[in-house]
Amino acid sequence: MRVEVSALNHTYPGKPPRPALAGLDFSIPSGQFVALIGPSGCGKSTLLRLAANLLRPTGGSIRIDGRTPAEINAARQVAWMAQSPALLPWLTARGNVALAQRFINGQNGGLPIEDALQRVGLGDIQAAYPFTLSGGMQQRLALARLLIQPAGLWLMDEPFAALDEITRERLALELLDLWQPLHPTVLWVTHHIHEALRLADRVLVLSAAPGRLVADLLLELPRPRDESDPRFQAALSQLRTCLAQAQGEAQR
Amino acid sequence: MKAPARRSALVAWGIVAVFLISWEAGVRLMNIPVYLLPSPSHILATLADNPSMYAQASLLTLGEALIGLLLGVLAGAAIAVLLTLLPGIEDGVMTLAILMKSTPLVAIAPLLTLWLGFGVLPKIIITALLTFFPVLVNVLSGLQRVDQPFLDLFHSWRASRWEVFRYLRLPGSLPYLFAALKISAPLALIGAVVAEWTGASGGLGRTMWLAYTNLNLPYLFAAIFILAAAGMILYRLLAWAEGRAVFWQSISREL
Repeated sequence: MRVEVSALNHTYPGKPPRPALAGLDFSIPSGQFVALIGPSGCGKSTLLRLAANLLRPTGGSIRIDGRTPAEINAARQVAWMAQSPALLPWLTARGNVALAQRFINGQNGGLPIEDALQRVGLGDIQAAYPFTLSGGMQQRLALARLLIQPAGLWLMDEPFAALDEITRERLALELLDLWQPLHPTVLWVTHHIHEALRLADRVLVLSAAPGRLVADLLLELPRPRDESDPRFQAALSQLRTCLAQAQGEAQR
Repeated sequence: MKAPARRSALVAWGIVAVFLISWEAGVRLMNIPVYLLPSPSHILATLADNPSMYAQASLLTLGEALIGLLLGVLAGAAIAVLLTLLPGIEDGVMTLAILMKSTPLVAIAPLLTLWLGFGVLPKIIITALLTFFPVLVNVLSGLQRVDQPFLDLFHSWRASRWEVFRYLRLPGSLPYLFAALKISAPLALIGAVVAEWTGASGGLGRTMWLAYTNLNLPYLFAAIFILAAAGMILYRLLAWAEGRAVFWQSISREL
């Protein structure tokens, strides 16, 4: 799905009001994997929540395939995944995925439950309860839940941030394998430079709050990404410079 | 039962045994008159001598307590559900509930007996009133306490308010319901006995009141023993049921 963001503003009410996003403008073609990166509190999660219709913007607009986030949410065409796997402890692994299925009632496009569980490597432990699973397996289960939704846009808010580095890298690679055949548009919030470069087609760098777009990097490197590739290294140092600038602007 | 749990149960029973033995020894050594404090053996003998009387009284009191508890729990849970689905009325209803809770039931019990007679009805009402509030407060906070990531997820699925309630809030409130039951069940016994004390045609409270006015302390203590045992058994039953119904909590605690 195509995402168009124009003159997007968001200010949280309060005393004093907290501006989170200030005049964002960009557009994402269908099927692009976009990483959103920036200093903490730069509004990247706010942007994601706006796209997910969890928040209404105070100014400007987001259009997804020409429709508002509310319309897209109503059509259940967006899948959401966050740092907390948000698994219901009283449901089995399969039960958690089946619950999500209840809400997409018969729309085609997502994977069958069985397939989704197989794909994330949980085919053999469908009857296990979430609290018996490790953190990495819990996020895999959340991924399976995402896969059954016939969504053209995945909104992912630091889904692996709570995991250890090794699990995190492995899951990131698995995620790419899952993403490639379905190829939805992805908005991926992260504060992890390497993760952004390993996964994304494009990296958007936001400044510290209120978030503005300070850099827009296109990464035309083949996957899986080779970190020793000089082009990877060049992108890495470019991204570091952008982030340092984003930080610096915040301090000024 | 795991080893530490078994050990702590042993310790608890050990303390009870030491308590009863020193009580027995104290009464015998100091020749305490039976109208002040009967020995445990005397109390148990009283129980053994009057099995049918105590059985009848216990059944009546337990019946009142359990029916009152059931009504109190149903009312408390129903109002908690209502307040969750219609959040606008929470302040008003909670004010009324607290007003009711602050009214001394010990003062109302004799009035109910005066109005409704010596039958079971006033006892059931008192018990229900006493057990209702912990259930309301606990279940309400259980229903309202849902973590943001879960709400975000359900909103991303565009779940209706009812679906959020049915699939998220309701099962999530089960641990709170059991916490409330473990408070309310012993209260139910107290409520039934206090109500009987103010005038009844039967029951353990009535037995205790008669025994007290005649300074027949073995009879009084025998009823106390039964109540203590009933309260404990009720609590254990609830803890067992809780372990089954809220399995995800007890298991995740062990892991």
